[in-house]
Parts: sequence; C-alpha cells; structure tokens
Amino acid sequence: MATSVPAPLEISEEFLAPVSSEELPEQVTLWQDAWRRLTRNHLAVVGLVIIGIFLLTAIVSFVWTPYPTWRQALGPTYQGPTLAHPLGLDDYGRDILSRVMGGAAIALSVGVGASLVASAIGIVLGLLAGFYRGKIDVVISTLINISYGVPDLLIALILVVLIGRGIQNIILAIAITAWLGMARLVRGQTLSLREREFVEAARSIGTSNTKIMSRHIFPNALGPIVVQATYLVPAAIIFEAFLSLLGLGVPPPSPSWGGMASEGYKALQIAPHIVLMPCLALSLTVLAFNWVGDGLRDAIDPRMRR
Amino acid sequence: MEPGETLGIVGESGSGKSMTALSILNLVPEPGKITGGQILFKNRDVVSMTDGELLEYRGSDVAMIFQDPMTSMNPVLRVGFQIEEAMRAHARFDKQQAKDRVVPLLQRVRIPSPKERARDFPHQFSGGMRQRAMIAMGLSNEPSLLIADEPTTALDVTVQAQILELLKDLNRELKTAIILISHNVAVISSLCERVMVMYAGRVVEEGPTRKVFDHPEHPYTWSLLRSVPRVDERRHERLISIQGMPPDLARLPSGCKFHPRCPFKVERCAREEPPLEEVSPGQDARCWVLMSNVTKEAQALKT
Amino acid sequence: MSRGTLIYAAQRLVLITFTAIAVSSIVFIGIHQLPGTALASERRNNPASEAALLHRYHLDLPWTQQYVIWISGLVHGDLGESMVYQGTQITPLLLREVKVSLTLGLAAVLVTVVFGMSLGVLAAIRQNTWVDYVASTTAVVGYSVPSFVWAFLLILLTVSGFYAWTGGTIYEDIGWGKPEQIPVPALALGLPYAAIVARLTRASMLEVIRQDYIRTAWAKGLSSRVVVLRHALRNALIPVLTILGPLITGIITGSVVIEFLFGIPGLGKEFVTSILSRDYNVVIGVFTFYAALVGLANLAVDLLYPVLDPRIRY
Repeated sequence: MATSVPAPLEISEEFLAPVSSEELPEQVTLWQDAWRRLTRNHLAVVGLVIIGIFLLTAIVSFVWTPYPTWRQALGPTYQGPTLAHPLGLDDYGRDILSRVMGGAAIALSVGVGASLVASAIGIVLGLLAGFYRGKIDVVISTLINISYGVPDLLIALILVVLIGRGIQNIILAIAITAWLGMARLVRGQTLSLREREFVEAARSIGTSNTKIMSRHIFPNALGPIVVQATYLVPAAIIFEAFLSLLGLGVPPPSPSWGGMASEGYKALQIAPHIVLMPCLALSLTVLAFNWVGDGLRDAIDPRMRR
Repeated sequence: MEPGETLGIVGESGSGKSMTALSILNLVPEPGKITGGQILFKNRDVVSMTDGELLEYRGSDVAMIFQDPMTSMNPVLRVGFQIEEAMRAHARFDKQQAKDRVVPLLQRVRIPSPKERARDFPHQFSGGMRQRAMIAMGLSNEPSLLIADEPTTALDVTVQAQILELLKDLNRELKTAIILISHNVAVISSLCERVMVMYAGRVVEEGPTRKVFDHPEHPYTWSLLRSVPRVDERRHERLISIQGMPPDLARLPSGCKFHPRCPFKVERCAREEPPLEEVSPGQDARCWVLMSNVTKEAQALKT
Repeated sequence: MSRGTLIYAAQRLVLITFTAIAVSSIVFIGIHQLPGTALASERRNNPASEAALLHRYHLDLPWTQQYVIWISGLVHGDLGESMVYQGTQITPLLLREVKVSLTLGLAAVLVTVVFGMSLGVLAAIRQNTWVDYVASTTAVVGYSVPSFVWAFLLILLTVSGFYAWTGGTIYEDIGWGKPEQIPVPALALGLPYAAIVARLTRASMLEVIRQDYIRTAWAKGLSSRVVVLRHALRNALIPVLTILGPLITGIITGSVVIEFLFGIPGLGKEFVTSILSRDYNVVIGVFTFYAALVGLANLAVDLLYPVLDPRIRY
C-alpha cells in the first residue's frame, strides 16, 4: 500500500465531554484513607479504646480518686482485693486502685511528654542533617553511630543522677536518649525526599530552605514519623518503670506504676497484688499503644492498598 | 503419553498449562485443588496417592523444572548438594552413590569444570548454566517423565537454542519422555513430536506437531500460527493478532470458550461447547466449524 | 574463614578498641566537669587524710593531667581503683562481673532465639489457622509485657509456686551461684525479645515459602520437614540476623534491671550501685566494658552473615 499523508487528528466528540461526577472514583486524602484503614483494624480500635479509658482515668485522677493516693492506713497493710478496695491495699495501707489511677496520669504524661520532646528534637535535627548535609550531618550521623554502641539506659541513669528525679527531669532524660532514633528516621526520609521533583520545583520558584523543609519535606515524612512517635510512648513508659525499679524514677510518694511495683517487690510473695496490679495496668497500656502503632503502620503503608 | 515421547503444550499465559503440569505432580498451590478426574501414571492414580507415595513419586518417577533459573534454586545451598539431595530423597540411590553421580550428571548437561562447579553456589552460575543444573537435578533419578515449564523463556536466544538441543539429546539418549510447556510456537516445533494447544483451561487441539502446525483445525491454533512471522513465507501475508483478550477463568463465556474472539464462529458456538473429537487421523480438535471447512474465508483474512 | 573475613574482623576489632576508648574518654571528661568531688563522704575526716585521698586518686591534679594518667592506664588494661572501696582494683572486679553478665546474657539470647524462632516458624507453617492467631497474639503480648513483669510472674510461679505445690520441700531462692538459678532471670530477660523474633521470623518465613526454590524443593519430592527446616528456615534467618545487633543491645539494657532485681552480681548491678555511690572510676570502667561488649556482639553478628548467606563475602 502506498503511504499517504495522515489526516489531521480528529478527536471524536465523546472524549471532549466533561466526565460526570458519578463516573469518578471517590476522592480521599491520604489521611482520610489511612484513618479508614485504621478503624477497620480491630486490634487498633481496641487499642484506641483502652488508651481512651486510661486517658480518661488519668484526667479524672487529677480531680478525684476513690481515696487520696497518699493517704495511708486505710485498712490493714498488704490486704488483698475487697469490695471497698477493689485492687487491695499496699504496704502502707494505701488504696491501690486510686494509686493506679494516679499512675495512669504519670505514665501518660511521661510517655506522651517524652515522645513529643524526643520527636521535636529529632525531627528538627533530622531535617537539618538530611537537608543541609555537611557539618551538621557529620555530627549527627556520628552521634547516631555511637549511640548504637551504648545502651541508652546507662546514659539515662547518669542523666537522672545529675539533674534530679522530678517528673519533668525524667521526661527530659528519656527524651535525650530517644531523640537520636527519631533523628535517624527523619534524616533518612529527608535524604530521599529532597531528591524528588517537587522539591526541585519549589526551589526553582525561589522557596526558602526553611519553607521547603517545613512545607514540602516534613509533611511527606509525617506518616512514618507518627508511627515512630506512637511507638515511643510505650517505650518511654517502660523506660520510666526501669528507672523506678532501680530507685531512680519519679520519686515517691508519686504513684508511678514502676514505683509501685518497686515498693511492692519486697512483699512479692506474700502480697503479689501490690506488684501485679500496676504491672497489669502498665502492660495493658503498652499493649494498647503497640496495637495502635501497628495499625497506623499498616494504614500508612502504600503496599497494603487494595 | 508413550515412553520417550515428547509432547509440547502451547498456549497463552493463563491458559492453564502450568496448572496442568503442576497437577501431574499433585502440586497445585493453595487455594487451588484438584476436584475430580484421574491422573494415571503407569496405571496408578496420582490424585489418590498417599503422602508417602507422592514423596517417592515426585522427583523420581516424574520430575519438573521451572521457568526462572535465577530463583529456582536455593541461594544458600551449594549446587552439587541440591542435586545430591534430589537423589537422597528417594530410595533408589544410597548416600555414596548419590554423591558420586553429581559430577557425571553435571558433565552430561555440558557444564564445564563440573567438579569445581559442584561446590559453587547458584549465584556463581550464569542463567544458562543454572538451567542446565536444574535439568541435571530433574534427571538425576532417571525419571520416566520430565516436565519443563517454559525452560527457556527467561534466557536469551542463543542460550535457548543450546538448552533445547540438550533436551533433545537427553531425550534420545535416556529415553525420558518430555513435556515441554511454552507460549513460543517455534520452541515447541523444534523439540516436540506431539503438541497440545490449550485455551481457557481446555485442550482445544492435539496431534502430531507437523500435522497440527501445517494444517491446524482449531481457529485458535490457526490464529496463533498466523500471528508468528515465518522466515519461509514467500508471499506477503498479514500478521494477524487475535482480537480481544483471553477470558478470566472465573467468568468464562458460554458455549465454546473461544467464540468471542473467533473469526469463523457460527450460531452454535455461542450455545454449546464442542467436545474434543478426532477430526483427522491422530488429530483431535474442539470445534464445531473446523478450519478445513472455511478455507476460503481464511484465505480472505490472510491478504 | 576466608582471608577477606579475617581482614574485616581485624579492622572491626581496631574500630571497637577505638570506640571503647572514645566512649570511655567522653564519660571521663564529662564526669570530671561535674561540680563536687567523688569523695564527698570522706570530707568528714581531717584535712590531712583528705589530702592523701585526693592525691591517691590524682584528684589534686588538673583534669587534663588526670586524663593522661587515665589513658595510659587504660591502654594497659588498668582501669584504676575504686573510690569507694579503696584498694579494690577495678579491672579484675569488672572481669569477674562480666563473666556473670555474659552467662546471663547468653542464656537470654538462647531463650530469645530458640523460643522466638520456634514460635515464628510454627505460626508461619500454620498460617491463618488458630495456631497462627494464638501464636501471633502471644507474640504481641509477649513484647508488650516488659522484662521485669515477666520476672515478677516467673518468680511467683517458680519460687512461690513450687513451694506451694510441693508442700514446702522445694524452695529455691532467687540469686546467683547455682546453675538452676539461671533459667528464671534468663527467661525474664529473653521473653520480650523472643516475641519480637517470633514476629519477624513468621513474616520472613511467609516471604520465603512463596519463593520459587521452595516449589522446586517440593517437586524434588522432599519431605515437609526438610523443606521447612533446610530450605525455608535457612533463608528466613537472614532478615532475623539484621535485628540481632539491636536486640543484643536491648538485652544488655534489660540486664541492668534484671540483675538488680535478682541480686545477680553482674556489670549492670555494679553500674547502678556505683552510680548511686558516686564511685566514678567504676562508672567509667563499666561504661568502657559495655562499649567493648556491644562492639564485640555486633561484630559477632556481622561475622555470622557470610555463614548464613554465601552471597555475602567480606
């Protein structure tokens, strides 16, 4: 067949008509989609409920507990659970239920507080290290590498001995050992995101570095950041319990769960409830946060999209 | 199949050829399973074999090699060991015999320096060599039947030819029957005496290779052959690609499964599925129309 | 071991030595910037003996000089003398305690690996059955319950439990010195990490089982035991190896608390007591030991890679 000059391209009418809204798939944002997937995850929902209960308990405990957490001699010491004291009495005759409630406040404060502080520091430094590279990056990367070689508990112990045992100091001490993990994550994310086209595009129109980091890189790294921050909460709670068991946690008479377990340890075999009740509360809280963290991680993971 | 026979199974992806092969070894992966029928090996039904019988049967009576040699061998075990293992799993050779057979086997499949190579790991082999090693593994127990599922698809063309040569020679020397599965018609015709064409999970044509390829009776076979360029064509013929796509095996059309794409269909094709019947000596086809009845229309399509 | 591996190991050992010295130095310098001296408790004595004490520990010298003395001692393996228990040489003390901690630590790693992998493999080969669900939930609960809670539960079970069930004939107190006192603290330390390993092993096995070479193994007629253990598991171990390093660091962290709770005379307990009693020389010594331990542990893990995966060579 002889070749001929092709006719000008004619697009048939039907391609030019606007698509009616029923034909488009429903549009969801990343977060709406993630939320939906999260709520479909049964374990994560249970976790959220448990956290909600503990949160409520913590808030309530500021205003009211069945008995004052510090009042002693409410009954015979070491007494097991009774109707009046559903979780029993401790070695000083204090009501354990009230103390567990107070402990919830402490645990959540320490957990969320340390996670927030560590995340804040880690995010900022991670962004700076990953974005600017150079000297900042060398310093932070070296710190990260060294931190692999030193168990964090040891550092926290020294810090607590140095700066004292108040709850704020403990939050600080934990955050100082934990920010490196977050910085490492954010640095990694920044390193890969800064090569993406939208960063180049932003730069080409003259966006300042700070704006690029805060408006472009940070939001795109937010998914893994949130997951990591969620996992940091139970880690901090356990950390405080470690410190309490060694005698360096939130000081008595504050009813931190770790502290209660520490005090009750001497009577473990005759009155196990003193130790086991706060431990149960602690384990439930950690479990709940782990379920939520897992749920968040799966909800954000693009590979799991169906 | 007859002893020592070579059979080719040809069809598109998703036509069910691999599943058919796997079912011969009763290895259909979950959630699939064999729901009925018999698979007879020397008059024993594979489908009703016990676990113990299956373990003995697999790899020894019937062996299978797979498509991608890169991923078909365990990366953390030595090649020689993996071949030895294939023999030690069965009662035929004892430990020492198995060990001794490895190097000669590698030699048989034309791997250079077999003694040193036996101690290597798979990642140290090239693709072609890996496939040869797989063939050695498959033949190590001198099976009556070797199934090769797309053995050359992942290899480049020159290596393909070598592997096919090797299979041909081994078939001649050892009298091992071979089932070669491929979507490549040329590969099949170079090796196989008989061919089976599959579509939508069904055999649509079967017979001696030369006969089927020279005089295909089923429109699908005919279309398949028409879509392959041939070096020996003197006239200018159009390459016809088959309109449409293979059906989703979960939602098959009624009647003949090929009818939506068939250029020669008649009204009956949409209603009733044809049985597989002999249409000429030795050749079976599953079609109401048959190519020998539509030679004029077929000619028209070719120009 | 190939020549490349030996060279790699040697390079790492040099690196570990330097890191240990660096960590040690940082702690040393940091502590010597602190206000107040370590010998505060001795102040009650007369000035003469106080001066003698200060001199004995070189505390009357500027810290830079102290550092030089310290470093020259360090490279000879001499970590100095305890400030609280005068006359006690630190290095031999810590070496004794390291042996204890290592025994406990290795036992815990054993618990972690054996329990963890068994549970993971079981869950993987029975995927989506009740066995899998129970195992997986057990794993999550396992690592949500911290090691000290396991310790409490195990103590109640073994000490109180055995005592009650046998009517008072069996009573094993917690402590150290007898081999039967190893399992309980090792379990307490190892169980949370076993749970993490179980989860990872399960995920890894599920990936591996899907691979082509497993299908080849079935086609060869190999039995399930051989396919799972020899073919699947060996490949599934490789990702697990990657977390072994951080895991060991975690076990070291946990051992501090566990040793304290059980009264086990190891490095962890030493660290706590020396921090609380301001025995700074010991503190620095323990830090040095820990830095070296973690480095060696990570090296051991890295040397295992070529053993498991022949594609990796140094």
